[in-house]
Amino acid sequence: MVKLRARCILVGDAAVGKSALSQMFSSDGSHIQKNYSMTAGVELLVKSVNIPETSDSVELYIFDSAGRETFVETCEKMWGQPSVVCVVFEISSLDSFKSCSRWLERVRAHCNGLQLPGVLVGNKSDLASRREVETSVAQEWAQEQGLQYHETSAKEMENCDAPFLSLAQAFYALYQDRRQMIQRLG
Amino acid sequence: MLNTALSSFGAQVVLATSSDENHPPESMIDGNTETFWLSTGMFPQEFIIRFPDNMKISVISVHSFNVKRLRIEKSTQTDAEKFEVIAEKEFEQTEGNLQTNEISLDGSNATHLKFLILSGYDHFVSVHKVGIQA
Ligand SMILES: Nc1nc2c(ncn2[C@@H]2O[C@H](COP(=O)(O)OP(=O)(O)O)[C@@H](O)[C@H]2O)c(=O)[nH]1
Ligand SMILES: [Mg+2]
Repeated sequence: MVKLRARCILVGDAAVGKSALSQMFSSDGSHIQKNYSMTAGVELLVKSVNIPETSDSVELYIFDSAGRETFVETCEKMWGQPSVVCVVFEISSLDSFKSCSRWLERVRAHCNGLQLPGVLVGNKSDLASRREVETSVAQEWAQEQGLQYHETSAKEMENCDAPFLSLAQAFYALYQDRRQMIQRLG
Repeated sequence: MLNTALSSFGAQVVLATSSDENHPPESMIDGNTETFWLSTGMFPQEFIIRFPDNMKISVISVHSFNVKRLRIEKSTQTDAEKFEVIAEKEFEQTEGNLQTNEISLDGSNATHLKFLILSGYDHFVSVHKVGIQA
C-alpha cells in the first residue's frame, strides 16, 4: 500500500467553473456552490483518490487559483513545485479556451523542467446549445500538449470526478515508472 | 564505519514523511545501497535518525537519487527536539547512477539527525544509504 501526495494546480479564466468543479469533486457531489463568489486568492482542497484495482491512493492537494489577473501573482507564490495541472475552460466561451495555453505556460514555468502530468477540462457541458468550442478541437489541442481531455458539468454534476481521477492515475503511473528506474540503479 | 549499517549499532529511523511499504525508511540504514526509501510526492520531505547514545559525528555520507537541496539538523536531547541546523548542501544531479555525497562536520555530538529534503530533480527522490563516521 502506498499513499502518494500531489500538488494539483487548478487554473483557467475567471468564472469558467474551477471552484464549482473542485468543490463538486472534493465533496462527492453532495454540495454545489450556488452563489457566484470570486475566489480572492488561493483555496486549498484536499481529497484522496483510490487507484482502481490497487490498495494505493493519491492525495490531491488542489490549489484553486483565482482567474482574475490581479490575483494571479498572489496565487503563483502558493504554487510551489506543482505535481500535476488542471486547466479549465468553458465550452461556451472560445476566449476561455484560447487562454488555456497561457495558463499552462504559467504553471510550467514553476516546474524547473520536471514532467508535469495534466488534464484539460471543458466545463459547462450542460450549455451545449451555446457551445463555442468543439470537442474535437479541444481534444486535439490537449493531445498536442500531452494532456487528457474531459468535458464536465459542475452544475449537472456530470463527470466531475473524471479529471481528478485521471490526474491521480497519471501521477501514480509516473511514480511506478520512477520506482522501477531507481530499482535498476541500486 | 561509513560502510557499516547504522542499524547494526542500534540506530533507528523514528520519523519519515513518506511511506511505501515496499520501500520502508529502514532501507536507508541497512547498509545496503540496493534497498531504498522513496519519497511519495511533494516537498519538503523529512526523516529523523535516532542513535542509541550521544554519537560523535565528523562525516555523514548519503547515497541518494534526484535529491537537490538537503538540510541536516541535529539534536543532543533524549527526545527528538531542539534541532539546530548543521549543514545545508545542494547535490549534483546524476544520471544512471546514485548520488554519493559526504558532508564533513566538526565532530560534534548528536542523539538525533534530521534530514530535510527541500527540493528534488524529480517529483520523487530516493535515499539508499546514510552512513556516519565518528
Ligand atoms: N451552466 C453551468 N454553470 C456553471 C457550471 N460550473 C460553474 N457554473 C457557474 O459559473 C459561475 C462561475 O463558477 P466558479 O466556480 O466560481 O468559477 P471560477 O471563477 O472558475 O472558480 C458560477 O455562477 C457557477 O454557478 C456548469 O457546469 N454549468
Ligand atoms: Mg473560483
